[in-house]
Amino acid sequence: METLAETQGIDLFLPKTFDIFWSAVILVIVAIFFYKFFLPKFQSIFDERAAKIEGGIAKAEQAQKEADAAKEKYESQLSNARVEAAKIRDDARAEASHIIADARSRAESEAAQVTANAQRSIASQQQQALVSLKGEVGVIATALAGKILGAKLQDADVQSSMIDSLIDDIDKDQAA
Amino acid sequence: MTGALSLATAASTLADFEVPSIDDFLPDAFVFQGTPFAINRIVMVRLIATVVLLLVFGITAKRAKLIPGRWQGAVEWLLEFVRNNIVYEVMGSERGRRYVPMITTIFMTILVFNICGIIPGMNIAATATIMMPVFFALWTFVQYWIAACKGKGLGKFLKDELLPAGVPIPVYVILAPMQLIDIVLIRPASLAIRLFANMMAGHLIVALCFSATQFFLIEAHNALAAFGVVTFAFGFVMTLFEAFVAALQAFIFATLSCVYINLSYPEED
Repeated sequence: METLAETQGIDLFLPKTFDIFWSAVILVIVAIFFYKFFLPKFQSIFDERAAKIEGGIAKAEQAQKEADAAKEKYESQLSNARVEAAKIRDDARAEASHIIADARSRAESEAAQVTANAQRSIASQQQQALVSLKGEVGVIATALAGKILGAKLQDADVQSSMIDSLIDDIDKDQAA
Repeated sequence: MTGALSLATAASTLADFEVPSIDDFLPDAFVFQGTPFAINRIVMVRLIATVVLLLVFGITAKRAKLIPGRWQGAVEWLLEFVRNNIVYEVMGSERGRRYVPMITTIFMTILVFNICGIIPGMNIAATATIMMPVFFALWTFVQYWIAACKGKGLGKFLKDELLPAGVPIPVYVILAPMQLIDIVLIRPASLAIRLFANMMAGHLIVALCFSATQFFLIEAHNALAAFGVVTFAFGFVMTLFEAFVAALQAFIFATLSCVYINLSYPEED
C-alpha cells in the first residue's frame, strides 16, 4: 500500500513530454501508413474485384443474349424448313397425282385411239372384203350360172340385176 | 508473544505480495532519460506494437490478391466491419465516405494497441498512457470542428449546440455553458479517459489476480494454495474478458468519433 502513496493518481493524467512526443510520432506514422498505403491498396482490390464481378455478370448476360438470339434464329430456321418441307411434299404429292392422272388419261385416250383404229381398219377390211367378194361372187356366180344355165347372158343390165338379186338373196339367207 | 510473532511472519510474507499499482503506468525511462525522447516500458511496447502493426498489415496489403486467402479475408472483414457497421451505420454512406480512412486508422490502431495488454511479455496496453488516447481524441476533436465549419457553418453549429430549440429561455443560462464545456472539453476528454481508464483497470485486475496466484501458490504456505487456484481461474477469465474489452473499446471509440463528427452536420432531411 506504500507504493500507492508515492504516486498521486492525478499524475497518470498529466502529460509527459516524452509521452506526447512518442504518441504523436506513432499516430502520424500509423496514419500515413493507413492513408497512403494500406487503405488505397485494399480499396483498389475491392474496386478491381467489383469491376471483375460486374464484368463477369455483363459477360454472362451478353452470352445469354447471344445464346437466346442463336436459339431464336435456329428455331425460326427450323420452322421455315418445316414449312418448306411440307410445301415441297405437298407439291410433290400434287405433281405425282397430276402425273398419274395425265398418264392415265393419255393411256386411256391412246387405248381408245388404238381401239378406234382397229375398229376402223376392221370395218374397212370388212368393206374391202365385201366389195371384192361382191365382185368375185358376181363373176363366179355369173360363170356358174352361165355354165349351169348353159346360156350366155350377154346383156350387161340383165347380168348385173341378176347378180344384185342373187346377192340380196344370199344376204337374206345370211340374216335369217 | 506468539501472536506478535505470527503477525510479524504474516507481515514479512505480505511484503512479498507484489500489489500492482498505478506506478505500473509511470515506469522509469530506460533510454534518453530526462529528454523529450525518453522511452519507458509502455512506450517501448507501443513502438513494438507499431512495428508489428506496420509489418503485419503492410505485408497483408502487399500480398493482397483479388481472391483473398483466410488471413486477407479476415482483414477485409475487419475493414468492411469498420466501414459498414461503424461509419456508414452512424453517418450514412454518402457523408461517411470521407471519414472511412480516419475511423479505420483509429479502430485498427486502438485494437492492436489494446490487445498488447494480454500478450505475454508485453502485458500492458500500448494505449495505457494518457497521451495516446488523447491524440486519437484530438484527431476526432479537430475533425468535428472542421466538419462544423464546413457542414452547418460554425454559427449554426454553435447555435444548435449551445442554444438548442425547444428549451425555455432562462434555462439557456445554465445550458449554454454546459454545452460549451461539452463540445470543447468533455467530448474529447471522455473519449480519451474512457479508453485509458479501461486499459488501466484491465491491467490492474489481471495483474492483481496473477500476482495473488504467485503469492498463494509459491510464496505462501501450502494451506493457501487453494486460493491460488481460484485467483488463477479468475485471472484467466479476466484475461479473456480483457481481449473482449480491447475490441469493445476500439469499437466504442470509433463509433463515438463518428457520432461526434456526425453531430457537426445538419440533420438529414
